[in-house]
Amino acid sequence: MECRKENKDGVIVLVVDGAIDHETAAAFEQAVMPSLDEAEAAGTGLVFDMSGVDYMSSVGLRVLMLAAKAAKQKSISVVVAGLQATLAEIFQISRFDKIFTIYDTADAAVAGVRG
Amino acid sequence: MQVKFWGTRGSLPVAMKADKVRGKIVQALQAARGKNLDDDQAIADFVDNELDFSVAGTYGGASSCVEIDFGNDEFVLCDMGSGLREFGFDSLRRINEGGKKGAYSFFMSHPHWDHIMGFPFFAPAFMPTNNLKIVGGHDIEFALRRQQDNPSFPVPLDWMGAPREFQVMKDGEVLDTGAFTVKIRKQPHHGDSYGYRFEKGGKTVVYTTDAEHKLDDLDDFDAHIEFMRGADLVIFDTMYSMADAISVKEDWGHSSNIVAVDMCHQAGVKHLAMFHHEPVFDDAMILQNHTETIRYEELVRPGDDVLRISCAYDGLVIDV
Repeated sequence: MECRKENKDGVIVLVVDGAIDHETAAAFEQAVMPSLDEAEAAGTGLVFDMSGVDYMSSVGLRVLMLAAKAAKQKSISVVVAGLQATLAEIFQISRFDKIFTIYDTADAAVAGVRG
Repeated sequence: MQVKFWGTRGSLPVAMKADKVRGKIVQALQAARGKNLDDDQAIADFVDNELDFSVAGTYGGASSCVEIDFGNDEFVLCDMGSGLREFGFDSLRRINEGGKKGAYSFFMSHPHWDHIMGFPFFAPAFMPTNNLKIVGGHDIEFALRRQQDNPSFPVPLDWMGAPREFQVMKDGEVLDTGAFTVKIRKQPHHGDSYGYRFEKGGKTVVYTTDAEHKLDDLDDFDAHIEFMRGADLVIFDTMYSMADAISVKEDWGHSSNIVAVDMCHQAGVKHLAMFHHEPVFDDAMILQNHTETIRYEELVRPGDDVLRISCAYDGLVIDV
């Protein structure tokens, strides 16, 4: 699993690649929390570009939920983009699709966050 | 070993209303259009093979009560939910038919109401010829006595004639009954709950309900995976969706189907029985939950070993 951060029009985009499982969840969490701080400083929001994620179990979902909770406290938005078919199903089964706004692409998500 | 579910509903017993029965009949008749159902066998085959379980049957509404038959002459139960009432009458039938005697052992997850409410209606407890042994991590006697004290119930506990023995086990303790061994584990729940790992002849059944396994409590997570390690059957609290369990229903004391599958995968469990169903769910919603859980298992399966997933219902029998 790899994460890299981008700033698109003032919106922080966390581009995630690979598998988020018990081996990599801690690294994913470590990447997410500073990104939330940056998004708060930018006064916009955080986009998870998940188009490169091919596997995610409950530990990855937990990190996303922590991010959502932290974002609520910071009064910023957190959205998800580019879910592969497998991940989209996992979001639906876990009901995470009821919690997160999901966009087809990172660009659409950035536009959505910017309003 | 054989496991029979007498009550599978969480928190509160439920009963199906007339509109739900009517809905099932309508769905069944719609599905029967154009079928050749001229004889009784064709009708039975159609019901058994072509209708969803949520249409042809029901998951039931009795609260937690599970029987484990170790093949000897004693009865072993997990919890005393409202399903215990029907079990009680069935056990008397089996005693009368021979092969069983009136010895009952109970392993209690915890004394919350939905797990003890069947006891006042447990007919064998009124018969002095029977013997009851009640095991748990809590003071179950206190809970049963209070439940039947005035003004909650007209019949006090001491009015029930069957001799009772209570045993409190400590977290991690192993009990060897001669017929089987059982290990107890304390679980995260309001006031704690306890899971049980039953072993006999190389087969293992784990009963673990009313437990909220949080993904950031790695000590609990890892220890519980070890507790379930290699089990042939795990009966697991899958009351909530993952999203509910870690958001609006966080700290309500229950787990999700997602956590159940992930933990069973890591523990190398062979068969998961979804249990302690949300009382607001109707049969269609529980079936959907079951179907989605099977699909999730496919999506995240770490190797070639398939985790079999059943959705427990009142009356389900699983041979282990």
